Amino acid sequence: MQQSLIRNFCIIAHIDHGKSTLADRILQATHAIDEREMRDQVLDSMDLERERGITIKAQAVRVGYRASDGLHYQLNLIDTPGHVDFSYEVSRSLAACEGALLVVDASQGIEAQTLANTYLALESDLEIIPVLNKIDLPVADPDLHARAIADLIGENPADVLRVSAKTGDGVAEVLEAVVERVPPPSGDRSAPLRALIFDSVYDQYRGVVVFARVVDGELDRRSRLRAMQSGLALPAEEIGYLAPAMTPTERLSAGETGYVVTTLKSLGQLRVGDTLTLDDRPAHAPLPGYREVRPMVFCGLFPVDADRYPALRDALERLSLNDASLLWEPETSQALGFGFRCGFLGLLHMDIVRERLEREYDLDLLATTPNVEYAVTHTSGSVLAVRSPVDLPDPNHIEVIEEPYVRATILVPHDGVGAVMGLCQERRGAFVTMEAIEQRQQVVYDLPLAEIVLDFHDQLKSRTRGYASLDYEPVGNRAGPLVRLDILLAGDPVDALSTIVHRDMAHARGRDLVERLQKTIPRQLFEVPIQAAIGGRIVARETVKAKRKDVLAKCYGGDITRKRKLLERQKEGKKRMKQVGGVEVPQEAFLSVLQIGDGGS
Amino acid sequence: MSGVRHLYLHLPFCSSRCGYCAFVVEVGGLDRRDDYADALLSELHLEGDVLGRLDTVYLGGGTPTLMRPRRLRRLLDAIRPRLAPGAEVTAEANPETVDGRQLEALVEAGVTRISLGVQSLQPHLLSALDRAATPDQARAAVACARAAGFASVSVDLLFGVPGQDPDDLHRDLEEVVGLRPDHVSWYELELKAGSALARCGVALPDEDAAADAYRTVVVGLEGAGYHWYETANFARRGHQCRHSLAYWGAADYLGLGVGAVSTVAGRRWRNAADLHAYVAALADGRAPRRSEEALDPDTARRERWMLGLRLDRPLALGWAGPPDHPEALPRLRELGLMEGGGAHEVRLSREGRFLQNAVLGELMEYA
Repeated sequence: MQQSLIRNFCIIAHIDHGKSTLADRILQATHAIDEREMRDQVLDSMDLERERGITIKAQAVRVGYRASDGLHYQLNLIDTPGHVDFSYEVSRSLAACEGALLVVDASQGIEAQTLANTYLALESDLEIIPVLNKIDLPVADPDLHARAIADLIGENPADVLRVSAKTGDGVAEVLEAVVERVPPPSGDRSAPLRALIFDSVYDQYRGVVVFARVVDGELDRRSRLRAMQSGLALPAEEIGYLAPAMTPTERLSAGETGYVVTTLKSLGQLRVGDTLTLDDRPAHAPLPGYREVRPMVFCGLFPVDADRYPALRDALERLSLNDASLLWEPETSQALGFGFRCGFLGLLHMDIVRERLEREYDLDLLATTPNVEYAVTHTSGSVLAVRSPVDLPDPNHIEVIEEPYVRATILVPHDGVGAVMGLCQERRGAFVTMEAIEQRQQVVYDLPLAEIVLDFHDQLKSRTRGYASLDYEPVGNRAGPLVRLDILLAGDPVDALSTIVHRDMAHARGRDLVERLQKTIPRQLFEVPIQAAIGGRIVARETVKAKRKDVLAKCYGGDITRKRKLLERQKEGKKRMKQVGGVEVPQEAFLSVLQIGDGGS
Repeated sequence: MSGVRHLYLHLPFCSSRCGYCAFVVEVGGLDRRDDYADALLSELHLEGDVLGRLDTVYLGGGTPTLMRPRRLRRLLDAIRPRLAPGAEVTAEANPETVDGRQLEALVEAGVTRISLGVQSLQPHLLSALDRAATPDQARAAVACARAAGFASVSVDLLFGVPGQDPDDLHRDLEEVVGLRPDHVSWYELELKAGSALARCGVALPDEDAAADAYRTVVVGLEGAGYHWYETANFARRGHQCRHSLAYWGAADYLGLGVGAVSTVAGRRWRNAADLHAYVAALADGRAPRRSEEALDPDTARRERWMLGLRLDRPLALGWAGPPDHPEALPRLRELGLMEGGGAHEVRLSREGRFLQNAVLGELMEYA
């Protein structure tokens, strides 16, 4: 197809602002799917995504569209992930497009992530088509939000489209605007192949499938491909596009997007952002913007049942086939036994991986407190990357500890500014700027990432009644007076409960933690002291009293079976606990470390 | 093979259902009593082959005394030829359903032991439990039972009743001791699924309050000369309930009646709870509908532990079989929960008896 008839675009939207519904409408309006096949949110094919209302994996769907000018266009709708953890993936998806629909809920207005992704899109020189969705809602205020969006992207409020993806109202105008306003691609078809990998998935039947935008040249079914950054050879079995079903084709030309089914059996070295080129006619230089993604958040994952360790390893191996950003290495905990220290892009990524492991692989897992990667300078001068509190060297041998910081941008209604600033201060934030955007304040703080990976987001939501939204980006490491807070159960330190905290907060956290543990650990056959310690010095103590009564009141001929079953259930409950130095610790106890300082005590 | 030596008869009729009750009972339906007695006799006839000389018989309910002495006598007449000399024959009774004449009639019919469902002697607790009897009726029933000449008089009581404060419990304890029963069963109130109390969502006391109450009961009754011979049972010398001891000793027993359970030679069955279906089946000379369970050797061994540890006497390993986790024994001794016992027996310490389930959880799998 001629490049002048191709449009590549994506949708930028906050969670729940209607991206998936609008995508569904576009598929319907272009007859890519018929009514019979229509189900909600066709593009979010994984169950997990459906439930969470978010999209993890971008896909590109090609639809044909006869515009009002009478011409037949090829529209490629490239889906983008919607969460801060995946901002690099978002930037690669954006780089595969010439335009973006900026979808904003007409009752809610712009959120922090939308703002961040809009800036990303503007940086990538995308043509932005602002769309107010949900105009059918009685509480919608389209005029107000249209002015705000127009301000943001420097457009005329009159050019902001108004739609209801739910009723289909205004969807035709959106398609016309895509054709009219989004520039066609302008690659060089005769140049050596350069195709941007913006997503990849592992399919158990087909192997690794790469989604790519052809920037220059042509991608042929018989091409011998190579990824330029990794040097990886990619033998292609089939090329094609999603319509939305996989549709094989002979070639993809500059300007088009599609997929390549490779013979690779694992994502392994393959990275989003890499450039596909021809083995025998390579391009001079790869496409710009490639970055190695580094995990930001780490936690230990342990099977509750030690026998399931091999199963956990297999499951991580399988997940890695489809998730190149998931890092994992074996870890041994005195308290929890054999498990893995895993690295994630962020908290959401961590939750998703955990949930998939439990749901898809039927594993019962214990997760330790998430932490960041610390750069520890030893007195000897060597620098250590510490990904687990237990690996922190003896304080006497530490010259300096640095921890990663992020610049957090928070959008909040004016009356929530105090709460947000209070929270940021509590979490060791350094104020950067504040300015009014639309009807809200944009508050910017530099914060230790370690403070965000605990419960910052939940706290932010609860303290602003859900009105604040958050986006953040790394701004490098900074030194700080950090110490390890240890927890002792019945006198023995429990490595899995150790955390690294700021010295000034260590006492309060220690107290908070032992109180929480005291509430979650059930009474045992003996008294269990719970202590918090910093460098061997006890800073807080609580006690779980010994059990005083545990009997079955009655047991006669008629109820022997029932009472036996009661004991069986009790035994089941016991099995879900972890034996830590003779103390039975429920899984929730390990989670309680996560919920710090919400005044729950 | 001497045959089964323990027989239970379930007599489900009640005039009302108490708040804490989830037993198989039949409220009203008194016109079915003769049919029901026929059905029991018919089931006895069907199953009687497994019986040997009966050492104990227990008439439980329900409210057995609602059957009136006439019908109970008819049942006991049928059983009498099977009784061993000195057999214990217990009947349960609610204080408000008996008077001196009836109790005498029970003694004449061959009942040797009466178990009175007193539950409490505090009016507000009786009403919390939906019990029909007044404290005076309960006192009178104990006195009448004494006068009627039962060999053993037992009372049932409860602790852990919502609204029962320590003073209430002390008063009950004092009064019960004053009534001088031969045997006391003092249970912790359980909220059973299906009972009215469970449905209305009342809160039971917390572990510490319940532990305090339990200890008060144990210490109080021991101080009055009762022997704490089982988790919830106390007796003067020679007055332990032999029928219950058979259960705790994992002996075989035959249970007749609607909802009754039997365990014979590794097989356990429960009659369906439907009174009409039960009567109809036996009127046709057929066994009632039953659910069955085969007790494999491991299950039977775990039951012997569960039951045997309820008693204050040591558990003989040769009889009970080994625990699943013998390695837990030294630790339990160290914690002071088990004591003494040689290589061939184990016994709970006094403290261990309050934590019997937790100890079982350490020793046994119950998988």
